[in-house]
Amino acid sequence: MSDEHKPVPASEGENPFIGGEHTYATVTDKIAAIALARRTSKGWVLGFLFSFALMQLLLVAVGYLLYKGVGIWGINAPVYWGWAIINFVWWIGIGHAGTLISAILLLVRQEWRTSINRFAEAMTLFAVSCAGLYPLLHVGRQWFGYWLLPLPNTMRIWPQFRSPLIWDVFAVSTYATVSLLFWFVGLIPDLATLRDRAKVKFAKTMYGIFAMGWRGSAKHWYRYETAYLLLAGLATPLVVSVHTVVSFDFAVGIVPGWHTTIFPPYFVAGAIYSGFAMVLTLTIPIRAIYGLQDFITDRHLDAMAKVMLATGLVVAYGYMMEIFMAWYGGHPYDMYMVLNRMRGPYAPGYWALIACNIVIPQLLWSSRVRANAVFLWVLSLVINVGMWLERFIIVVTSLHRDFLPSSWGMYYPTKWDVMTFLGSIGLFLTLLFLFVRLLPVISIAEMRGMVSSPTDKEGGHH
Amino acid sequence: MTLPPAAERIEKRALPVGGIALALCLISLTRGNLSQSYLIAYLFWLSLPLGSAALLMLYHLTGGEWGFVIRRMLEASTRTLPLMAALFLPLLYHPTQLYQWADPAKVAADELLKHKQPYLNTPFFIARAVIYFLVWIALSWLLTRWSAQQDHTNDTRPARRLLAMSGPGLIVLGFTVTFAIVDWVMSIEANWASTMYGVIYIVGMVLTTLAFMIFVARRFALAEPMNKVLQPAHFHDLGNLMLAFTMLWAYTSFSQFLIIWSGNLPEETTWYVNRMGQGWQTIAAFLVLFHFAVPFIVLLSRDVKRKMESLAVLAAAMFLMRMLDLYWTVRPAAGGAPSLRPMDLVAPIAIGGLWLWMFLRQLKVRPMMPVYNPQGDPSF
Repeated sequence: MSDEHKPVPASEGENPFIGGEHTYATVTDKIAAIALARRTSKGWVLGFLFSFALMQLLLVAVGYLLYKGVGIWGINAPVYWGWAIINFVWWIGIGHAGTLISAILLLVRQEWRTSINRFAEAMTLFAVSCAGLYPLLHVGRQWFGYWLLPLPNTMRIWPQFRSPLIWDVFAVSTYATVSLLFWFVGLIPDLATLRDRAKVKFAKTMYGIFAMGWRGSAKHWYRYETAYLLLAGLATPLVVSVHTVVSFDFAVGIVPGWHTTIFPPYFVAGAIYSGFAMVLTLTIPIRAIYGLQDFITDRHLDAMAKVMLATGLVVAYGYMMEIFMAWYGGHPYDMYMVLNRMRGPYAPGYWALIACNIVIPQLLWSSRVRANAVFLWVLSLVINVGMWLERFIIVVTSLHRDFLPSSWGMYYPTKWDVMTFLGSIGLFLTLLFLFVRLLPVISIAEMRGMVSSPTDKEGGHH
Repeated sequence: MTLPPAAERIEKRALPVGGIALALCLISLTRGNLSQSYLIAYLFWLSLPLGSAALLMLYHLTGGEWGFVIRRMLEASTRTLPLMAALFLPLLYHPTQLYQWADPAKVAADELLKHKQPYLNTPFFIARAVIYFLVWIALSWLLTRWSAQQDHTNDTRPARRLLAMSGPGLIVLGFTVTFAIVDWVMSIEANWASTMYGVIYIVGMVLTTLAFMIFVARRFALAEPMNKVLQPAHFHDLGNLMLAFTMLWAYTSFSQFLIIWSGNLPEETTWYVNRMGQGWQTIAAFLVLFHFAVPFIVLLSRDVKRKMESLAVLAAAMFLMRMLDLYWTVRPAAGGAPSLRPMDLVAPIAIGGLWLWMFLRQLKVRPMMPVYNPQGDPSF
């Protein structure tokens, strides 16, 4: 093998995932400036106010729900799982991209994750916060929500450990905890940078507190790297486990449309699919507004689009196997379920879902589509909608006509369902606006590792 | 290129041994007691060319040196598909032995089989098998041809072609293997269906291939010239892939089990009832331990993955566990306790001998290493 043909590891040579001429200093300046800028831009204020106002819908809807009960939602026999569960699955799915990007892509040494991981992790946290609300609200008597935990009590009543709904409690709370820790540990060096750069006393103090005395010594870095890697290892199984448990919520029952063995991998793929769509929905505008094209390059968008394409195809495989096996299995209920989805009262939703999740995303095969940020953004919205519809179809069409025609019924959401959902989007956006304003949206410490420093012209080493 | 002496010896002996064993199989076939043993052995060895095609396309899509160093072995492995197509024929000799749906009398007596007639009938079954093999051989042909072209040029065009075909190729492979497995294995118990079934085999076939390739790469790493190329880092990556697929196998298998167990519907649980009683439960427990738990724990160790010999030993054990898993999947379909028939040993030797012979021959016709690696070229 001659020398010029030697395989070159990706970490050597010019880094394709960073644009422009950047050094340690410019990277730090550029990213820190977003959080430290003295003046808050008008756009931010307007956006924040809008999100905050939207969040008030949640406040009203939840307030009335606590007063009146879950009867204000559209759920009733036979559809006892309505928008609350749909939204729960939708939000929790969105979170998965963040964990995949930050943990799995770190472990498999995909460098392009560096500029998007912070942001994606934040998105995960906020999405999990929104998701967590729904089951808690759905339990009916929310003040007994803690009964979901296996707390020793004089009545010796325990949760049903065989129920995946209980596994959900463990899975989601573990997920939220690990995601928060992972995100926070990753932030520490950057918080120290902000502490050192902040001009305002209050900001300096606050960043200082959360930087936990970070001095950047070799020992600090050593422990930081170890902790970060360990957390990545811990977070990795969570990418799969959480949505697997969510899929069990459905699949362990015998309802046609829920009870099918492909559910776990197909749910996980769907979660990553929707998560990457949400990352794109958020990063494309943010990178345009804050001029971060050098850090979040078109190649990043391209890579994310490819992940979406691949996971979308896994989802398509799931749909196809479900339909084929419904016929092949020869169960009248399964066959009816499939036909009812295609031709029943919710058929428009089903076909919209197929269009949004399967048909339209095939455009991603084209590299020109993947290179066009605006187009990609629109596509990401389409997929977000598609994945919401998927959960709607799974939850509602499976329940509304099951075994006994005499107990069939229809499900319609009420204005309270809509308000709760919009309100949770408000909560999500409010948290995101705060995050963008107060914390570095890209990991400064890791980005420094990606650029050539003035003394190290070869560059690219960690 | 020349093979290490040990491989040369295997190549020389594989053909007569495989040939004699196949002759025994064919004699047994005419007496009507071969089908299941043969099917198990066939599925096992078929995993290698199909898994190799999957890994090659995965490599073309994602890059990584692990794929570069075993690429020629994977390509040689896919080129055994014409042989595998020929070895499929004995399964068609007497389909009713395996498949109830091929027997008109049984179909007439069973509503469900009648329902499945449009799909499960002998002519369509054969037609689908022809399609699968045509698709697989086409994939293998493209993967090998463009790779060979790359050896003669520094132009990246062949590599770009490989990249472009790999996405669609994986989809096509995924669907064809899924339906092939539904046809050839799942339909033995024609009243049973599971949407996860194809995925479990696909994961298993990649795992089989990884185990085989790690073992072979280790043998090659002992001698010139491959000892200059194969590094502990490659084995580390391959070991990680094997770990990932070991976990995936457990994940898909366990998910299927849990969902069916929880649903507890008689038409679904039969599959597990047949496989968890009459002694099969011992094999099931053995699989849980040695197809998942032990390799999982051992593969977590970085040292094991970087020591070629230890990884190769583990890979060899995994290779055998794959066989056992297929035995546990297929054999109980007919009911009865676990038993070892002579054909259970002869059939894998027959197909395996011929397969190894073809594999090693194919390995010789190309240079062991690609000349140029555009994947590692920043301009690519």
